[in-house]
Amino acid sequence: MTDGQTITCDALVVGGGIAGLQSALDLADQDFSVVIIEKDLSIGGKMIRLSKVFPTLDCSSCITTPKMASAAHHKNITIYTWCDLKELTSNKGSVRARVTQKPRYVDQDKCIGCRKCEYSCPVYVPDPEQGGFCATKAIRIPFSNAIPQTAALDPESCMLCGKCEKICPTGAVDYFQKPFDFTIEATTTILSTGFEMTTIEGKPQYGDGKVPNVVTALQMERLLAPHGPYNRVLRPSDGMEPDSIAFVQCAGSRDKSMGIPYCSRFCCMYAIKQAMLLSGALPLADIYIYYMDIRAFGKGYEQFYQTAKAMGIGFIKGKVGRIEEAENGSVAVRFEAQDGTGVTTENHDLVVLSLGVLPDWSPEGICSVSTAEDHFIQTVQPSIGPTLTSRQGIFVAGAASGPKDIVDSISEAGAAAMEASNYIIAQGK
Amino acid sequence: MTDPKKMKKNKEKSEKIGVYICYCGGNISDHVDVEKVREAAEKFPGVAVARTNSFMCSDPGQELIIEDLKNGVVDRVVVASCAPSLHENTFRSAITRAGANPYIYDHANIREQVSWVLHGDKATYKAEKLVAAATGKAGLLEPLDPIRVNARKHATVIGGGIAGLKAARVLADRGLEVVLIEKTPFLGGNAAGLDTVAPLGEQCSALIAELAKGVLEHTAITVLTRSEVVGFNGYVGNYNLQVKTTLSSSSAFDKAAGHVVPFEGDNADTPTEQNVKTGAVVLATGFRSYQPKTGEYGFDDHREVLTLPEFIKQLSEVNCSGDILELNGRKIRAMAVIHCVGSRQIPGIHEEDENGYLNEYCSRTCCSSILHAANTVKEQFPKTNIYDLYRDIRTYGRGQEELYDRAARNRVVFLRFEAGNSPTVSANDDGSDYALKVTIEDGLTFSEEIEVPVDLVVLATGMEAGDVSDLVSMMKLPVGTDKFLQEVHPKLAPVEMSVSGIFLAGTAQAPMNISEACNGAAAAAVKTASLLSKGYLELDPYVAAVDQDLCRGTGACVDACLADGALEMIDAETENGTEKKARVVPALCLGCGACVAVCPTGAIDLKGWSLKQYEAMVDMIVADELIDI
Amino acid sequence: MSDKNKKKNKNKAEQERKEDMKRLREERKSSIQRAATMVKTQRKDLKVLMKQMGSESATAPELAQATGMDVAQVIWYLATLKQYGEVVEGAKNGSYFTYKLVVKEPEEAVA
Ligand SMILES: Cc1cc2nc3c(=O)[nH]c(=O)nc-3n(C[C@H](O)[C@H](O)[C@H](O)COP(=O)(O)OP(=O)(O)OC[C@H]3O[C@@H](n4cnc5c(N)ncnc54)[C@H](O)[C@@H]3O)c2cc1C
Ligand SMILES: Cc1cc2nc3c(=O)[nH]c(=O)nc-3n(C[C@H](O)[C@H](O)[C@H](O)COP(=O)(O)OP(=O)(O)OC[C@H]3O[C@@H](n4cnc5c(N)ncnc54)[C@H](O)[C@@H]3O)c2cc1C
Ligand code: SF4
Ligand code: SF4
Ligand code: SF4
Ligand code: SF4
Repeated sequence: MTDGQTITCDALVVGGGIAGLQSALDLADQDFSVVIIEKDLSIGGKMIRLSKVFPTLDCSSCITTPKMASAAHHKNITIYTWCDLKELTSNKGSVRARVTQKPRYVDQDKCIGCRKCEYSCPVYVPDPEQGGFCATKAIRIPFSNAIPQTAALDPESCMLCGKCEKICPTGAVDYFQKPFDFTIEATTTILSTGFEMTTIEGKPQYGDGKVPNVVTALQMERLLAPHGPYNRVLRPSDGMEPDSIAFVQCAGSRDKSMGIPYCSRFCCMYAIKQAMLLSGALPLADIYIYYMDIRAFGKGYEQFYQTAKAMGIGFIKGKVGRIEEAENGSVAVRFEAQDGTGVTTENHDLVVLSLGVLPDWSPEGICSVSTAEDHFIQTVQPSIGPTLTSRQGIFVAGAASGPKDIVDSISEAGAAAMEASNYIIAQGK
Repeated sequence: MTDPKKMKKNKEKSEKIGVYICYCGGNISDHVDVEKVREAAEKFPGVAVARTNSFMCSDPGQELIIEDLKNGVVDRVVVASCAPSLHENTFRSAITRAGANPYIYDHANIREQVSWVLHGDKATYKAEKLVAAATGKAGLLEPLDPIRVNARKHATVIGGGIAGLKAARVLADRGLEVVLIEKTPFLGGNAAGLDTVAPLGEQCSALIAELAKGVLEHTAITVLTRSEVVGFNGYVGNYNLQVKTTLSSSSAFDKAAGHVVPFEGDNADTPTEQNVKTGAVVLATGFRSYQPKTGEYGFDDHREVLTLPEFIKQLSEVNCSGDILELNGRKIRAMAVIHCVGSRQIPGIHEEDENGYLNEYCSRTCCSSILHAANTVKEQFPKTNIYDLYRDIRTYGRGQEELYDRAARNRVVFLRFEAGNSPTVSANDDGSDYALKVTIEDGLTFSEEIEVPVDLVVLATGMEAGDVSDLVSMMKLPVGTDKFLQEVHPKLAPVEMSVSGIFLAGTAQAPMNISEACNGAAAAAVKTASLLSKGYLELDPYVAAVDQDLCRGTGACVDACLADGALEMIDAETENGTEKKARVVPALCLGCGACVAVCPTGAIDLKGWSLKQYEAMVDMIVADELIDI
Repeated sequence: MSDKNKKKNKNKAEQERKEDMKRLREERKSSIQRAATMVKTQRKDLKVLMKQMGSESATAPELAQATGMDVAQVIWYLATLKQYGEVVEGAKNGSYFTYKLVVKEPEEAVA
């Protein structure tokens, strides 16, 4: 692809998470041509970063990588990663996207993913793919099952020492790479831009990110993942194996004062899942979940919850009001028991926050689809056409239209692909 | 298709077997010494290379296989990883990408069959055995061609509820011919009994009318009401359904029974039976509302105890003014709603039904639905007090938490109970004129026992799987422990059933609300469209093949065959004149091998699963000297 | 093109590249400086840490105490070195795991 080029296809999928991949596959299997644009270095979305997934406890990689690989190898699908969607307009049966290809400083056609550059680079930077618990390098393959397996250089941390360029066996490193723009013309678009989580920072009641050993649920996924930072669950402040772990539910959700009045929908289930995985990894540890309501509503979910209870995981009905640093790296959790017995404080070695879920992308200034009061993309026929947006020919799937677990995201992705297929056909193309 | 003669001639085993063993993150390698298995495999006869990877299914893992094939290092592939149901296709397509035939592949399941059930040396030993067997078979694998059959661009949707209507409509828009089969005279299913619906308060009849209009006006959709499937045969792409349509008068369905009737098209006057030739079937057979047992929270014992559907119906017919709700002339000064009735039952706490079943699942929609009903009451009749007795409030979805907030603002009083300590409903005996009294240990106030006198109790009854036992046995459909129809895999194949070409839409699969049922329906439709839109299908070639030279025409195989029409006797011209010979109809063959077992001359064998291959597997399993114990 | 010309061209290209690199360095001056400072600290820390580890295995708090480094920083380096194959995890000592250097020339990591 080159500067100024225009690519045409039947359907453009914005966001290569599990929803986007499923939509793309369902369209491509019907012989429609699909382009996926992804803002990250790899496709796979949140799911590829998870450990195991409820309710079946399959390892997340085992489910995600094959979908990633089949999309990447599908004859009807073209994927562009590390892209910036600048503008998306729709008009009389066609959509037009202006996209910037951000520079990787590595030639994607030449790189063979050998990681020699990564090993030789002298700069250690906190690895966002490992929750920051260990380092990666200024040039690196983002993670072991990333697609594409192409290195990328982070110019913010690079000191231009020249080592990577010298060692690269294919001459792929290119310090002078520049961003460039290209255009995609499609008949229809599916927005599958997913979600992000609120941060601990800015929440003084939860320690504002300053209390050691208070981690986010996504960080806990890394601690539990097969290729996690420690390859086991340790407390990040000192490497201790924790004996007492607590989950704080609705940490920021269902609470107008923290900006998110709605329920983030999948945190109850992933907390139960993580608790179960922890009790497998650390059979002697005490594990507690502080909650208001357990929302185990999907197929097999309630049974999953009851199994966790039977395994001895402690479910404590109460609203956590404050989290503070305690002695020796412990974390003090102050909560109000829901039965009216008052405020109690418990100490734990490690505390996991089930933070609120926000949309990962705002169409503002890029695309004229409307968002709802919750900032997620609005759907105009929420009951009988849940994937229809305010713009004809633009559909939405997955967490982009409100938090949704994987099963629901996949189902909706299929639905969006069906509506998009019919839209293409209706345009007579 | 491969000629069986060639199969026989090509007797030499491959000497270039590649073995690829997966760590599966740690799912396998935490229990199986994967490197030890690799070392053992390297020494198995015919193995050219043995490699390992942390995720064989990932791109780098697949790349190992592709490289070896391309470089001519291997010509047969064995992958030892998770169950083949998960990734057989992944590896086959990798092999295809390398330019090789996808059927030169065999699979050893060392996760579900090994690392998930065994630990330590035993696990490693069994993994080595399974890999050994697979290499034995792989040495004899032959390239095969998939069976190509025509597929009808026609789909049948069973069930005319929300999900069935949605599925039919989008399939027809996609260009398929569609038949919609509904057993009642009405379209709309259970939703037809609802008034306004959560979370947005839309009029449900309007939603159904919109869906039904799209179906009834579509020229590509034939709607058969009062109809049921009574016969089923064929194979994916080419199913035949026998559909019976009964008379209006014989129908047990009464228009007055709460059905909103958007459809007046029931005009058949004689019972008919017809054959529907179709390519795929979408099951949208829906759910059944839970019917409480006599005495369950006072149900049947007190006429003031209603189920949620009953209450919704009565509420929709109310036309009183004032600020207190009146039902059938009775003032409802106070009412209680009880959640999770017939749902979230726990073994040892709840009583099983007559068949020993418990509904352990959450019915997903009742929390929102009952809060919506409570808000409807409170916003019109603010003086009617409502007590909401719940275990957890599950307002998870968009717009649902607002219902909960609104109920709190509307001064609905929430009381919380534990599964093991359910509230009780009994006749009121405090001398006041309230008919009932509800007793609860409230988990929100020191587990204090509270008694509330009420005029009405509404039970938030959940969903149960619809009775589709006839379809289940006809189509050999898998059913889950919750009695709902069971998908192949919740994430990999969420609307697919294990019977190819049969898909699941809506609440036939699990409790869902209207929006989720529509998503499920459209997702089922997109799979149907992918399957049928090309007009042909490719099926796995693991079917029986007859060696015409060895066949003596005894017909024993035809008698033994389990699939109608898969084997037939034909008159074949041979050097001895006309002789009877067996012939396989590949698309109908199940590949079960019943015929192989009975053939007196060994003339019939299964492609890809031949007797020789089995023998080779057994040889490798018993060859203990190959494995370093 | 004669050999000489080729060489000349090559020299010219090299010269141009040098100029380009210079310009790029100028452009990224502040980030390069930041990275360089960071690397300096990292090298120092790693040197101290690896020296302390020597051939013994030790827990993170033990290493922190011996080196005066922050224990969170120590575990961060250990996890990193483990990722790049420089360190292996050993037996557990109380609630803490021990770590040990992989016997090979450690110059790559500190270089
Ligand atoms: C800690 C945690 C644990 C979880 N565990 C489970 C579990 O066990 N089981 C389960 O079912 N669910 C689980 N979930 C939920 C699961 O992560 C979501 O259901 C799923 O990721 C939603 O998929 P998606 O594709 O809609 O969104 P995402 O995964 O967020 O993917 C969206 C993609 O779009 C890209 N994107 C965004 N904006 C743009 C743009 N403008 N241009 C291009 N690309 C863009 C993003 O980079 C991303 O790749 C968990 C969630 C969390 C936070
Ligand atoms: C009390 C209650 C309140 C609810 N409130 C809400 C709400 O407020 N908001 C909301 O979104 N959802 C609500 N729901 C859920 C909603 O009713 C369902 O999501 C929706 O009805 C599901 O539609 P369906 O098509 O899957 O199933 P169904 O409505 O059950 O339709 C199935 C259809 O298939 C037919 N059928 C069955 N077997 C056969 C067969 N063998 N051959 C031919 N036809 C057959 C049936 O006759 C029926 O017409 C509520 C549910 C209940 C129980
Ligand atoms: S040039 Fe930059 S990215 Fe490359 S090795 Fe040096 S510091 Fe690392
Ligand atoms: S940029 Fe070069 S050294 Fe780095 S991974 Fe790619 S091919 Fe290997
Ligand atoms: S899913 Fe559970 S933890 Fe998450 S916001 Fe909803 S109720 Fe709270
Ligand atoms: S949705 Fe609510 S009332 Fe219905 S079963 Fe689930 S928790 Fe109980």
